[in-house]
Amino acid sequence: MILASKEVADKIKRPKIRLAGVGQATDTHCVQERENPTDLLAVRRAAEQSMKMAGIKPSDVNVAELHDAFTILEIVESEEVGFFKKGEGHKALERGDTKLTGKIPVNTSGGLKGKGHPVGATGIGQAHEIVTQLRGEAKKRQVKDAKIGFTCNFGGFGNNVVCLTFVRED
Amino acid sequence: MDILGYKCKKCGQLHYPYRMVCKKCGENEHNEFDAVPLPRKGKLVTFTFLHNPPADFMVVKLPLGIVELDNGIRITGQLKIPNPKLGMAVQGEVEVVRESGDGKNYGMVFYPA
Repeated sequence: MILASKEVADKIKRPKIRLAGVGQATDTHCVQERENPTDLLAVRRAAEQSMKMAGIKPSDVNVAELHDAFTILEIVESEEVGFFKKGEGHKALERGDTKLTGKIPVNTSGGLKGKGHPVGATGIGQAHEIVTQLRGEAKKRQVKDAKIGFTCNFGGFGNNVVCLTFVRED
Repeated sequence: MDILGYKCKKCGQLHYPYRMVCKKCGENEHNEFDAVPLPRKGKLVTFTFLHNPPADFMVVKLPLGIVELDNGIRITGQLKIPNPKLGMAVQGEVEVVRESGDGKNYGMVFYPA
């Protein structure tokens, strides 16, 4: 993963992916203190910040990597970042909305449960997958015409969350 | 034996578990808390079954719940309730919840009230 200024990136003959939005939020580590134990408020806030900075809304996202260190998290995060209504993430999953050919493909890399969760390197792994998708280099797992990508990475149980929004520059 | 909550000496806010600084007034910089026993009665806020507990738990399924005690403090504990239901009244007892190389750990275990 190489970050460069626009001037440097313009000289390189590869599709350019712009890091368009960054959001970060924290929540208490003490899950019992959260008013609603099924909320991941830091995910909601970090996603809002990131998408606001990028000037997009959740329905604009073409491909996303969500932090599924545990199976339930992909579903809850898919709601908290705004892809689906609260309590409907599992229905969207069953409908196939998050599969490769669905409305908003999630975890095309396999996610943390499929690909692995190297903790400190997990976030950059997510960013790598999104950049690969936006460049159109994801081969058999390519999301067609993906232009806007999103990642949600977190530590603890949503205690410290970073969300990134990527946009392909044509 | 009791499980203790920690009351800020400056503003009275109660905490569980212990924390270094008061979450309400933030003025408490010197661990100035009074330890007070937590009540035993409360209602079940949510629960789950842990199917992959650490090796020293010799069970295949560990029921865990978050309980809101009568004073509003929430605590996580093991459940000894055959069919837990959201919102049900529960009664806590202080018991050994884990025995490992480090010795005995005590915690609140909840029964139907």
